[in-house]
Parts: sequence; structure tokens; C-alpha cells
Amino acid sequence: MKTTFEEKDGKYIMHFEGRLDTAASVQTEQEMKVLHNCEGHDIILDCAQLEYISSSGLRLFLGLLKVAKAKGSKVCISGMNDNLRQVFAMTGFTHLFEFV
Amino acid sequence: MTLMSPHTAELLDAYRTELPQLEQLAEQASNLLHNALREQNIQLNAFEIRVKSEESLTGKLEKKGYKYRTIYDITDLVGIRVVTYYTDDVDKVAVITKQLFDIDWKNSVDKRKHQLNSFGYLSLHHICYLKKGPLRSIPFEIQMRTALQHVWSAIEHDIGYKGAVKLPPEFVRQFSRLAGMLEMADDEFSRLRTTMTEYRRQVQSLVKSGHFSEVSLSTESFRQFLELHPFDRLNQRIAAVNQAEIFPAPMMQYLSVFESFRFKDLGDVQKFMEENSEDAYQLALSQLAITDLDILSESIGLQNLCLVYVIKQGGGLYGLKAVYDIINGEQASNIALAESILHQAQQLPFMHKI
Repeated sequence: MKTTFEEKDGKYIMHFEGRLDTAASVQTEQEMKVLHNCEGHDIILDCAQLEYISSSGLRLFLGLLKVAKAKGSKVCISGMNDNLRQVFAMTGFTHLFEFV
Repeated sequence: MTLMSPHTAELLDAYRTELPQLEQLAEQASNLLHNALREQNIQLNAFEIRVKSEESLTGKLEKKGYKYRTIYDITDLVGIRVVTYYTDDVDKVAVITKQLFDIDWKNSVDKRKHQLNSFGYLSLHHICYLKKGPLRSIPFEIQMRTALQHVWSAIEHDIGYKGAVKLPPEFVRQFSRLAGMLEMADDEFSRLRTTMTEYRRQVQSLVKSGHFSEVSLSTESFRQFLELHPFDRLNQRIAAVNQAEIFPAPMMQYLSVFESFRFKDLGDVQKFMEENSEDAYQLALSQLAITDLDILSESIGLQNLCLVYVIKQGGGLYGLKAVYDIINGEQASNIALAESILHQAQQLPFMHKI
């Protein structure tokens, strides 16, 4: 699992690549902490190269959403494939995020 | 350049000397009032504090300086303006100011009580003193008005009619009509608030007593209904599949789904739950049992209820997409989600009864 962070046009963007499973979630959680300082920045989670997401991954996304909301920032998920979208749908979380 | 009278110059000197005290008074009085209003939970449109500027005071003294013997004969050197949303709240604020401060009734005016031959839409002014402390001999003014009275005052200022000695009757009539309209609007807003509060109480009592079919479906009634956690049982059943944690999530958007189903009252929602819970559970089970997903949204039960209902009503692919469009917002992927649900549902017992 690999993540890369960039700031572009005032937005915080994190690119995810690989499988966000339980084993990868501890490291990914650390890497996502940079997104928690998001005052004044909307966040894009680029999931175009994400192959798999487990409950631990969902928890990371939900945790980030909670922090971002409190700071007035939006969280968008981009490029997610239909299979991963199904995971969000079958757990009832689709409506919490904006998918682009 | 106009020459300043010695009396005006004297009053301005006194003002400069007293300015730090005036600023202190503004802070103390406004803190007292603001805290009291917050404790009473009075919603405010605005709360403004100002110490009269030297420029503004000079203008006032040039016009009518002869009226004031000392600087503290000017009662609005410190001013607080409280703008409420509702006319009833102006009266509440007035009562609070009476409790907090000593009022100089001789100089306080209730400009809301118009005379028949006047026009305008005015506010309530109290001239106050702190009840104790070294600043208690300095007067300050509290203006209390509604947001609409505030708008009137701002426009009045912009048009600049105030102080005009004589206006043509057609303008007087136009102003009076507007003032009447705003006064009526203020009264109606207050009445509406009272009616809404009464409605909320009724809804709350009907929902709590379980008389669902007597409660029309509305934002308020649905919110009250959700407070009873009606979907918890189904959620817990679904969560048990993978020993999942339930994550809190908003559910108010499902009110629009129910409106699209043409549900009229909470009785319809109750019936919908009773008739579809088992099938909603089966649908969720068929999706989750083959995964190890152990975190679910609080809306999971309700989502599956809606999907099952649409399928059973023959809504098909586009009916399912319409539900997703409401709960997720319109997204291209909603059609793929709808296809997947329809495919999943083919294996379920309720499909064979349709």
C-alpha cells in the first residue's frame, strides 16, 4: 500500500495505491495525519489506484471525515472503481462522502 | 468653517477626559446584557456596542448643544443595540434590561407605540445605569428592535426622510403602508413561531404515544420519529452478521425518499417497516455475509428497507437508481449500484412472490 500527498489549487490531495487492508491501515493512518491539518482546505482522496478497502480502511476514511467536517472542510473521493463503491454502498456510507 | 461655541468645546473636552470610562462602561454593560440574553436562550440577529465617536458627538452638539448642561446629560454616549428575530423577544429583552439595570423612565421611549398621525416603524429605547460600581452614574442607551424594524431603520436612514418637516401626502401614505406591512409581518412571524412550537409539542406527544397514523410526515415529525430509534432492531440484526460496529450517520435525507414513495404519515412508515424488515435483513445478509466488513452506517437498515420496498413495488432498476439519487445525490455510479442490488435480490425469497 502506497500513499502520496500533494497540495494543489488549495486542496489537499492524497493518492492511494494498492490494498488498504488491516495490515496496511496502521501505516496509512500515520500517513493520513497530514490531512488532519486541513483548516481552509478541501480534501480529495484519489482512489483511482486503490484495489481493495477493508473495514479498517473505511474507519480511516470515516475518522478523517469527522475531523474535516469539524474544521469546515469537504472530503471528496475520486476515481474509485465500482467494486470499492459497492463496499461503501453495502455498508451504507456512500451518502457521507462526495464521490467525483 | 463654523466656529464652535465655548459650551460645545467644553463638552467635547469633558468627553475626551471621560472616554476611557465610557469604553469601560460599554464593555461592562454589554457583557452583563449579552450573558443574560444567552442564559435566557434568546436568539439574536445582531448585538452591537458602540461609544459615540467624537465626530458624531460634535455634529450632535453643533445642532443642539444648548440642551446639555454636562456631558452626562447626553444619554447615548454609550449605546447597545439588540436586534431580535421576533417581536415577542423585544419585550423579553426589555424585561431583562429592567432586571439588570436601573432605568431612567423619564428619558426612555417606547417608539413602537406610534401615534395615529405619525408613521414609521420604530424601536424601544431604554436609558440605563449600572446598578453598582464606580460607573453607575453614567447613562447608556439600549435600543431593542426586531430585524424588520432594523431594516426599516436602515432604509429610512438611506432614504434620508427622517427629520423632513413636511412630506407630500402621497409619500406619507407610501411610508405608512410599508410600516404597516412590516409590523404585520413581524406579528405574523411571532404567531408562526408560537404555532410551530405548539405543533412540535403535539407531534412529540403523538409520536411518543405511538399514534403514528395521526402524524403527517414532515421534517419535524420524522425527526421526532428518528429519536425513537425505530430502525435499531433491524440495524442490530444486520450488524450481527459480521459482529459489526454501528457508525452514527444522518438519516433525514430518507424523508425525501418517503415523499417519493408518497407516504403521507408516520403510520405509512411504520407499516413499511413491519412489511419489509425481514426482506431488508435478507438483502443486507446476502451482501454482507460474503465479506468481513465490520463497520456499518446507522442508516443501513433504512437503506435496505427502501431498496426492498422499491423492488417489491416493481420499481426496477430506475426505481432503485432514484432512491440512490436521493440518498447519495445524483452520481453516474448510482446506476451500477442499482444494477448490483437488483442482481443480488434475484436470489432472495421475496422475489419469487412478486
